[in-house]
Amino acid sequence: MPESVPASLILDAYKEIFREARGGRPSEPLGWVLSVPDTHQKSVLAALDKERALRTLTCATEDEANAIAAGLWIGGEPCILMIQHAGLYASINTLRGVAIDGKVPIFYMIGLLQRERDKDPRDSRHSMVRWCEPLLDTFGVPHARLEGPDDVHLIAKYFKLSRERRGPAAVLVGLETM
Amino acid sequence: MKRGDDPRRAAEPVTAMKPEELLKLIAGARGDAICVPTMTTAPEWRDIAPDDLSISCVGFMGGASSLGLGLALANPKRRVIVFDGDGSLLMQLGSLATIAGARPRNLTHLLFKNGVYHTSGAQNIPGGFDVDFVLMAKGAGYRTAYAIHEMDEFKRRLPSLFRDEGPLFVELHTGLADKTPMTARGGTPFPDQVEHLRKKLTG
Repeated sequence: MPESVPASLILDAYKEIFREARGGRPSEPLGWVLSVPDTHQKSVLAALDKERALRTLTCATEDEANAIAAGLWIGGEPCILMIQHAGLYASINTLRGVAIDGKVPIFYMIGLLQRERDKDPRDSRHSMVRWCEPLLDTFGVPHARLEGPDDVHLIAKYFKLSRERRGPAAVLVGLETM
Repeated sequence: MKRGDDPRRAAEPVTAMKPEELLKLIAGARGDAICVPTMTTAPEWRDIAPDDLSISCVGFMGGASSLGLGLALANPKRRVIVFDGDGSLLMQLGSLATIAGARPRNLTHLLFKNGVYHTSGAQNIPGGFDVDFVLMAKGAGYRTAYAIHEMDEFKRRLPSLFRDEGPLFVELHTGLADKTPMTARGGTPFPDQVEHLRKKLTG
């Protein structure tokens, strides 16, 4: 059964990812989190509000977040996008244009709002949950599930994968973070 | 489409500036600024500034302002100039608020306003030439926002466009460009532009 992941574990993972992306060089901010607020990850967003080392930028749409991420990447700044599955659907053309065709590494944390604890996401009765992985598969976006604290290492793994492949990669947040 | 043929474009001034002339003046004044053209400014800009600190927003219409914001945040000591279009900006209008919220002091957001989707055949944008983007930018919280209608005024204000603190929004009332991405295809593919600019900025 999936478990909720504490926000502190996720933030620690972000910091470690950014430190490594910068080769250990000190920087202010350490990295960027581009967010279109997601109910599923609201505890992480609340923790980010109090976090001084990371800079969070709230975007009006996921389309914007993708294009801003491209600008940050070109300028050498590491970033992570935090969105919801509905936002993935809304911005799939920009993901295609920027991350896939443009070969810009973009890493997404995607909240699976309404994912049922006792069902595989692909069997969900909610279409937004059910079609998320098939959509990513269709576009060839590698993805993993964050199903509990033991999966936190996948955040760094898929962030790195996005850079190695010069394209998109995603971690799907199974249950609401705490 | 000739100016004045369409009554829905009645608000468009007959003295509209030529985008090509504006771009040439910008090229002479930009210094080492990063430039982000999109749609009808892109073909002319790649002729004017073929191998420099520029990247065209290609393949994700509406993204120029956001791409420019990311570049501005990553390069706070360098000016970033976005050459947006009115149809393009309408596709990501929320970016005005996002940019204003991020408050990049080094971002100049130029809107080449012609009232139409020129590339796809010059259909009117929603609201046509009457849409007041200056009011929107001010309402979103840009530090400064104003319109320029005539070339003399543009020449007079030009140095301040790249010197004043951003985010700065300027609506440029222009006619139609001679070229569009459909009539002047080609140019460096977007991923190659990404790689080229990243190398220049990060060494």
